[in-house]
Amino acid sequence: MAAVNHWNTAQHLLLVILGFFVAFAPRYLPIKIFTQRKIPEWFNEWMKFIPVSLFTALVVKDVFVSPTYQFDVVHHIPEIIASIIVGLIAYFTRSMALSVVVGLISVFLLAVVL
Amino acid sequence: MTKQVPNPNEPKWRSTLNVAMPLNLSYIPIGLACGVLLHAAGFNTILTGLVSIFIFSGGAQFMIASMLTINAPLLSIVLMLFFLELRYALLGSSLSKYLVGTSERFKLIFAVSMNDENYAVNYLKFATDKKWTPREALMVEHYSLLFWTISNIIGSLVGSALKIDLTVVHFALTALFLYMIIMQVKNRLTIFIGLIAAVLAVFFLVLTKSTLGLVISTLISSFIGFALEHYLRNKKPGSHFLYKVRSPASKEAAVEEESDEN
Repeated sequence: MAAVNHWNTAQHLLLVILGFFVAFAPRYLPIKIFTQRKIPEWFNEWMKFIPVSLFTALVVKDVFVSPTYQFDVVHHIPEIIASIIVGLIAYFTRSMALSVVVGLISVFLLAVVL
Repeated sequence: MTKQVPNPNEPKWRSTLNVAMPLNLSYIPIGLACGVLLHAAGFNTILTGLVSIFIFSGGAQFMIASMLTINAPLLSIVLMLFFLELRYALLGSSLSKYLVGTSERFKLIFAVSMNDENYAVNYLKFATDKKWTPREALMVEHYSLLFWTISNIIGSLVGSALKIDLTVVHFALTALFLYMIIMQVKNRLTIFIGLIAAVLAVFFLVLTKSTLGLVISTLISSFIGFALEHYLRNKKPGSHFLYKVRSPASKEAAVEEESDEN
C-alpha cells in the first residue's frame, strides 16, 4: 500500500525533532522554575485545582466534542452512558483497573447495541 | 475490594509496576492503534519508536498521523503540536511542589517523559501517599513509556493488517481520567469546579477550534476554584460547599494532602 503522505524519512525526522522541542519546553520550564524559587502559598492553592479542571476538560473533549470541535451529544450516546457507569464504578470501588476495564467493555457493548 | 496492603519487603520496581499497571495495560490497545495510523501516514517503524519516546503523547501522535494524511505543511503541524502540548505546563506547575529538592538532571529526565496519563497516576500518589517519592514517580513514567513505545512499534510492524476501533480503545484513557476526577473529589466545591470546568471546556474548545481551549478552560476554572475556596474559607467557613464528600469504599478522604494546611 502506498503511503498517502509523500514526505521522506528526513522530513519525518525533522518533524519528530521539532515536535520534541515544542513538547519538551512546556514540560520542563515550569518544573525548573517552580522548584527553584520560593513559591507563594496562593500559587499552590491555585495549582491544587488544576487536576480536576484539566481531567474534566479532557473527558468533556472526548465525550461531548466532535473531532471538528462541534458540541455533539447525539453521536456520543455510548460514551456518555459508559462514562456514567465508569463514574459509579470508580466511586464505589476506587479501583483504577476496574474502572478502565468496565469502561472499555461497556463502551464496546453500547456501541454495538445503540 | 482492591485496597492493597503495602508489603515493606516488596522491591521498588515491583510496587511501582503495580501502580503503573492499569495505565500500562490501557496503553497497549491505544499504542497499537497509534502505531497502525503512523504507519499508514508513512512513518517507518524506527521513527514511530522515536516519536513514541521523544514526544510520548497519544494526542500528539494521533494528530501527527492525521495531519500527515491530509498533507499539512510542517510548520502548521509543529504549531498545532505546540498548542496541544502547552497544557503540559499545567502538569509541571502543579507537580513542582513535590519535586522540590531533586537534582537538575532529575528534573530534566522527569520532564521528558511526563504526560497526561502518568501525571494523573503520579499526582494521585503524591497527594494520597506521603511516602511516594519523585524517584518512584519517574519509574511510573518509564514503565508507561516502555509499554507505549513497544505497543506503537508493534502496531507499526503489523500495520494495516490490524483493525482497531479507535473510538472504543480511546475510551480507556477517558475512563482513566474519569477515575482520576472521582479521586480528586474531596468536597462539594470540587464537584462544582468540575461542572464549571466542563462547561468552560466545551465553550473554549468550540470557540478556539483547537486544544488550546483545554488550556484556557483549565486555567480559568482552576482559578475560580482557588478564588472561591479562598473566599469561603475566610468569609463563610461554615459553607455547605466545604462539606467533605466521602467514598463508601474508603474511610479516609480521597485526597488528604490539605490536612496539614489549617
